[in-house]
Amino acid sequence: MNTLRPGDAMLTDWREAAARFEREVGKAVVGQERAIRLLTIAIFARGHVMLEGDVGVGKTTLLRAVARGLGGAYERVEGTVDMMPTDLIYHTYLGEDGRPRVEPGPVLRQAEDLSVFFFNEINRARPQVHALLLRIMAERSVSAFNREYRFPHLQVFADRNRVEREETFELPAAARDRFLMEIGMEAPRDAEVRRTLVFDPRFHDTDRLTEEVASGVLDHDRVGSIASAIQHAIRAEPAIEAYVVGLWEALARPGPAGIRLSGIDMDRLVQGGASPRGVAFLVRAARVRAWLEGRDWLVPEDIRAVFPAVMAHRVFLEPVYEMRRTEIVPELIRAVFETVPAP
Amino acid sequence: MPAPPSAALLVAVVASLAAPLPAVAQVRGVELRTPRAFGYFQGDLVQVQAEIRTDPGFSLQRPSLPKPGPVAYWLDLKEVRAEEGRADDGSTVIRLHLTYQDFYVALDARTLEVPGFPVTVESAGSNGSTTAVAQVPAWKIGVSPLREVQPERRDDPAEYLRPDGRAPRLDPQPALASAGIFLGLAVLALLLLAYDRAWWIFGRRRGRPFALALKALRRARRRSEGEALYRDALLALHRGLDETDGRRVLADDLPDFLARHPVFRPQESGLATFFAASRLAFFGRDTAGASQRLPLPEVEGLLRRLGAVERSA
Repeated sequence: MNTLRPGDAMLTDWREAAARFEREVGKAVVGQERAIRLLTIAIFARGHVMLEGDVGVGKTTLLRAVARGLGGAYERVEGTVDMMPTDLIYHTYLGEDGRPRVEPGPVLRQAEDLSVFFFNEINRARPQVHALLLRIMAERSVSAFNREYRFPHLQVFADRNRVEREETFELPAAARDRFLMEIGMEAPRDAEVRRTLVFDPRFHDTDRLTEEVASGVLDHDRVGSIASAIQHAIRAEPAIEAYVVGLWEALARPGPAGIRLSGIDMDRLVQGGASPRGVAFLVRAARVRAWLEGRDWLVPEDIRAVFPAVMAHRVFLEPVYEMRRTEIVPELIRAVFETVPAP
Repeated sequence: MPAPPSAALLVAVVASLAAPLPAVAQVRGVELRTPRAFGYFQGDLVQVQAEIRTDPGFSLQRPSLPKPGPVAYWLDLKEVRAEEGRADDGSTVIRLHLTYQDFYVALDARTLEVPGFPVTVESAGSNGSTTAVAQVPAWKIGVSPLREVQPERRDDPAEYLRPDGRAPRLDPQPALASAGIFLGLAVLALLLLAYDRAWWIFGRRRGRPFALALKALRRARRRSEGEALYRDALLALHRGLDETDGRRVLADDLPDFLARHPVFRPQESGLATFFAASRLAFFGRDTAGASQRLPLPEVEGLLRRLGAVERSA
């Protein structure tokens, strides 16, 4: 296969760094190669990531390991029902002299150096908090103390578990669309890995476990410029452009594309979504995947590898089918890839 | 054998007019229309009509009608039907249609009396209801024996029995013919269904995607040349693979494809080269490099080999 041109030595070096980063994270989180690969792609695509999965599959551990490997300042908040947007921005307390004080809260504390903002249990926070997060994610800036704070390197990682529905707030479509990927995490299937996870005491103390990850494998200051270099270096041929547009069309209008799923009215299945921003994100992530695979041109497999994580949460189904979303959307995506011809 | 009531008319008017009591005058008359008065055999139905005329405002009290059932040991009442109407002078006309069946085994011709019965009519006025009784009179029918009392002497008692009636011989030809036609139609429909559902011999019916791909390549040869022809050739092979697998096969899917279709395993190296060349040609902007790696004749050769495997499978 083609490798990158010699002139792109920097990209080659960075690819090695990315591989090292994946290995380091893999030390702390075993059996989640797919999630780690997708997170690496998200980092180099400068996109925000939502992790979704059952309780205790290692979402938080994975994000902590990634934050540690990425280096830079790191903040973490836990979503609660009574959390307000100001709780993220301001920290209010009574000083020793009894006078009230207002100081920068979690978002502002590290100022511009903030590289990873980790929002735990995001669906427990109220819509007001989601709105603030929307602005932080979309514009990487926030207004406070009568000035504007910018976070050029900021990446938002969020997680939510899908077990509880009480006292939770579904993220608005606009906020979900801001996330580059929504990665579903499952407990590892492999029996050997499962045994290790349960019996090896190394995996019982997550603090010590994340400390094993070498800190700052990637230089978080420069990830932004590398990300933009990747986007310029990876070529997309007309054939791949036609392929992506074909996939997009088939996903948005599965009926006319000839996709049939049993028991579903295909003409009324998809209500909307699959936004142009989403498809742009898709190509962005696919380019990073091509780069990680050592190519400077896109192939359909790149698109397919990132498609479910990038596109699944952007498809909005008719309310009748929304309850069965977790089974319908993967079926639909599989059918789309089985229908649209690649070359 | 029942005779229509009009065949013979026996009018029996019970002249209740003779009674001077005003209460009786509420029933103006009862008229019985019977068919012929004689010639009844055992088992015959006898249909009788009774017409009762009453003063205006009276109507039949239906529970007072006789119930169908045995009337005498030789007579059954089979059916009672009543209809009410209005005559020109305003009086109510009640018509009873009675069907009797005679079971009398007569040895000689004789006359029997069919008993009469009372029927109640009522008029619901503002100060209570008034009822009156109309008496349907008894009447007579003449019954006759079916056979002579002392038949001719026979030696064999079985000879007293009449021979069985002869049933007409039916022609089975039209039924056989239509059965044949419908059987043929059913088989035809079953064949169509089996074809549609790919049952039985049709189950093995399978398109030959690689043979079609080879045909498509030959057509492309007439249409285009150079790089375009090369790309068309690759596309033809791609479509053949897609069709064989029932899904789109990408380069990374080759191991899965071979696992699903082990017959093509001997062609693995050829297919791997093909996918690499196709990637280069379509996504690597290097059709020339691709055609060096896998020249056009080899694409055709690969297609032919795949087609041969497909035929033998």
